[in-house]
Amino acid sequence: MKALKNSPKFLTGLIIITCLIVLALMEPYINDYRLKGHSPTEIGLYDIFLEPSWEHPLGTDSYGRDVLALLLNGLKYSLFIGFTAGGLATIIAVFLASLAGYKGGKIEAFITVLSNSILIIPSWPILAIIVLFVKKIDLFTLSVILAFFSWAGPSRQIKPQISSLKARPYVDLARVNNFSDLEIMFKEILPNFLPYILVGFSVAVTGSIMAETALRIVGLGPGDIPSLGQVINWAIYSGAMAIGQYLVILIPITFLILIFVSLNLINVGMDEILNPKLKQITGM
Amino acid sequence: MKEPLIEIRDLRVYFRTIYGDARSTDGVSLKIFENEVFGIAGESGCGKSTLVEGVLRLMKPPGYIKSGEVIYKGKNLFELTEEEFNKIRWKEIAYIPQGSMNSLNPVLKVEEQMIDAILSHTDTSKEEAKQIALEALDSVGLPEDVINMYPHELSGGMRQRVCIAMSTCLKPKIIFGDEPVTALDVVMQKLNLQTIMHLKEKIGLTVVMVAHDMAWHAEVCDRMAIMYAGKVVETGPVEEIFLNPLHPYTEGLLNAVPSLKRKFAKSIPGIAPSPLNWPPGCRFHPRCYRKMNICENEEPELKLIDSERYVACHLYNGGNWK
Amino acid sequence: MKQLVKYFLKRVLLYFLIFVISLSAFFFFINLVPGDPVTRYVQQLEQRYGISTPLTEEIVRKYKEAFGLDKDLFTRYILYIRRLVFEFDFGPSFVAFPKPAYSLIVDALPWSIGLLGTAVLTSWILGIFIGTVIGWKRESKVSNFVLICGLVASQIPSYLLALILVMVFSFGLGLFPMGGAYSAALKPGFSFSFISSLIYHAFLPSMSLILIYVFGVMISQRALVINLLGEDFLKLAEAKGLDKKRLIKRYILRNTLLPQATGLAMSLGFIVNGFFLIEWIFNYPGIGRLFMMAIREMDYNVLMGITVTTMFCVLTANLIIEFLYPLIDPRIRRG
Ligand SMILES: Nc1ncnc2c1ncn2[C@@H]1O[C@H](COP(=O)(O)OP(=O)(O)OP(=O)(O)O)[C@@H](O)[C@H]1O
Ligand SMILES: [Mg+2]
Repeated sequence: MKALKNSPKFLTGLIIITCLIVLALMEPYINDYRLKGHSPTEIGLYDIFLEPSWEHPLGTDSYGRDVLALLLNGLKYSLFIGFTAGGLATIIAVFLASLAGYKGGKIEAFITVLSNSILIIPSWPILAIIVLFVKKIDLFTLSVILAFFSWAGPSRQIKPQISSLKARPYVDLARVNNFSDLEIMFKEILPNFLPYILVGFSVAVTGSIMAETALRIVGLGPGDIPSLGQVINWAIYSGAMAIGQYLVILIPITFLILIFVSLNLINVGMDEILNPKLKQITGM
Repeated sequence: MKEPLIEIRDLRVYFRTIYGDARSTDGVSLKIFENEVFGIAGESGCGKSTLVEGVLRLMKPPGYIKSGEVIYKGKNLFELTEEEFNKIRWKEIAYIPQGSMNSLNPVLKVEEQMIDAILSHTDTSKEEAKQIALEALDSVGLPEDVINMYPHELSGGMRQRVCIAMSTCLKPKIIFGDEPVTALDVVMQKLNLQTIMHLKEKIGLTVVMVAHDMAWHAEVCDRMAIMYAGKVVETGPVEEIFLNPLHPYTEGLLNAVPSLKRKFAKSIPGIAPSPLNWPPGCRFHPRCYRKMNICENEEPELKLIDSERYVACHLYNGGNWK
Repeated sequence: MKQLVKYFLKRVLLYFLIFVISLSAFFFFINLVPGDPVTRYVQQLEQRYGISTPLTEEIVRKYKEAFGLDKDLFTRYILYIRRLVFEFDFGPSFVAFPKPAYSLIVDALPWSIGLLGTAVLTSWILGIFIGTVIGWKRESKVSNFVLICGLVASQIPSYLLALILVMVFSFGLGLFPMGGAYSAALKPGFSFSFISSLIYHAFLPSMSLILIYVFGVMISQRALVINLLGEDFLKLAEAKGLDKKRLIKRYILRNTLLPQATGLAMSLGFIVNGFFLIEWIFNYPGIGRLFMMAIREMDYNVLMGITVTTMFCVLTANLIIEFLYPLIDPRIRRG
């Protein structure tokens, strides 16, 4: 842990993502104050296509909405979906990886084929079709569907660790002392690979947000949840590009990239510390 | 006084870590003379490999040469350019790495790996190079068809012998063998050691041999150095060191060798210190059974005791060593 | 030899296994989702054109019959697979009814494969090259700078970069076309103007992939190279005093090729995911754009067909890469 403090990559990532999360948490207060109680998505609240000004730092869009308010609101939803889906995916991954690593044999082989299939096969079209044909899709359903497609990534991080931990003597010791399989899993193994779970988690969050944004940009998914992807979709379909309203698209893109980059920096930083060979690698 | 073939002067090889520098080899000076077999011994982690890799300029970041000189033929090896040094490498100074059985490129045939080295240093044709390689393989007792095999098709002992053949095929002046025969069964170890010694006689090699096991030193070395915590604590002719070890650490090491007299080998008490944080004063004092007050504060220097024996220990101040 | 045959057989078997599992999982997944495609399609027509309800009941029934959706799930599965395997048929397209979905897909596929193949191979080779250089010279400031850039760039989703590129270079600066695969004024053929138009149109779409994937490959290549630098056999190779070219080519590159090929195989699916949006953004006439059109029209058979086709293509690419492994690494060749 002390080592983490000395990793500039980890720290940079942590600071950026913390800022974004704080911004998302404060969104209701900021927007409430700025929009005087109106919803950020309320149509026709202001004149359309206002230039950036003190009152509207990023101007307004083609529906007369304050762009800054939309962005903060979008950030909140994107992060929320990402963390929910990512969390669910991590739980699935930990469960399946433990099962595979611990039981071995046929079960392990099956889970490996399954997670490899999800990794190898282009899953986004499948996701898109599902979302298209599901009648009513809400925030939670969407997260569950996303989680279902993003557990393979974290599983790949976690599984080798479980397999290697299983081989360590204290697990045998625990077995001699007649702990149940479940107890061994939770008492002995889990604490040891918490860092790997965290790495897996941020991989899953990234994957979920990426997939969600891609869905929303093309106009799929719950229209009443204005995440960043939806904001971009609105901008594209209102012709923001053609009339030179680049900021409306560029800023949500920047937010998204910041999320992805910061999570990855955290991962790289952790990796370097967890994996002594990698630590040698960077030498910085 | 005889001129040494190669002389190491105050060599320091450090590793950068997030906790500061690991001072793995920390001021080693050695003279190695032509045609001798020089042994280096010491506990695991005392910096033997680091020393050898430092001398051969094989250090990779985070490792780096902090200071020191290696004089060979009147030139400091560290001052040569990469190209200049590459010409000397292998041609004159060869190397058998630690774990030589895992030191072959897994994706190239033995032939290609041997020829690579030969072609890089001589103006021979491919056929001639292959001939040289075949002869070298023959000299270590390997059959001809080994040349067409991939490393994974050979046994560990065979791979080690391929390494030995490869390191001697250009008839170098000196070979640095870093535990050249470990990780094999005893018979194979002996066989490979004999092979090296046989080649030494045949082409007039100088051998520097790093080994854990003092028994090997006793068998083949002329002189040796004992390393502890990145420093040389004692050097001298092998027989004298074995008959009359001066440094308490050497004594401990010898006690750790099982023999007929001692049924049970005694290991040195305490744990080896970390190169991040060597103990102050004499680095061995926390584990030394003859510790004195001075040992805690003052670092002993390597001093000439007898004609050829050097030791770094406060017990032998001013030559009163009996 | 025997081992080699065994290796190939195993790969092929696994290939079919994954294909069948994915295909079946996909089929049941889609069909078990509440809400069937015809109803959704008709609902959409309703919304769009304001058709009255009694008529739609009739339409739904007819459509269901025409598309075989009135049968039970399992029969449909069997029918689907049978049609797929024996007739290579995905059924009729909703929108271009009665034109088969198959012909739409076949028309679009070469565009996608061409663009994607070129972009992926280019970035793979370039990434390996740059990664080797910055891994070899890892201490230099330039290497570290490139690495940091890579850590950021490799995390940008390709479709977001595509948006930025189209915005800046097509809309903003007007340097590149807004879409299409070639200028509409030209006749396809082996003429200079046509080919240069092809490249001109493919430039931005492929760049949105290359600019990102190069860095991804570069980072992993760098890690592989640096890992190798610690390997004993590289120490030995260096001690042999080999010239740098030989050392890098035969001792470093050769040994990173296998993990890089695996990496390529593993990331193809992910790349294709983003590629769907890239085609849509650049209005490039491949299956990605077709997919988006089918989504808008809820063209069930085309959607299914495209998904199955991409699965098939990506898995086949994987199989081809795996067939190359023994060429790269002798350890696989002889067991
Ligand atoms: N890359 C590295 N980073 C930090 N410290 C290192 C690194 N490589 C080696 N060391 C340290 O340098 C010290 C000396 O290592 P070295 O390999 O030279 O020991 P050795 O005497 O050869 O041991 P052995 O007999 O086990 O081979 C060790 O304490 C080790 O921890
Ligand atoms: Mg060693």
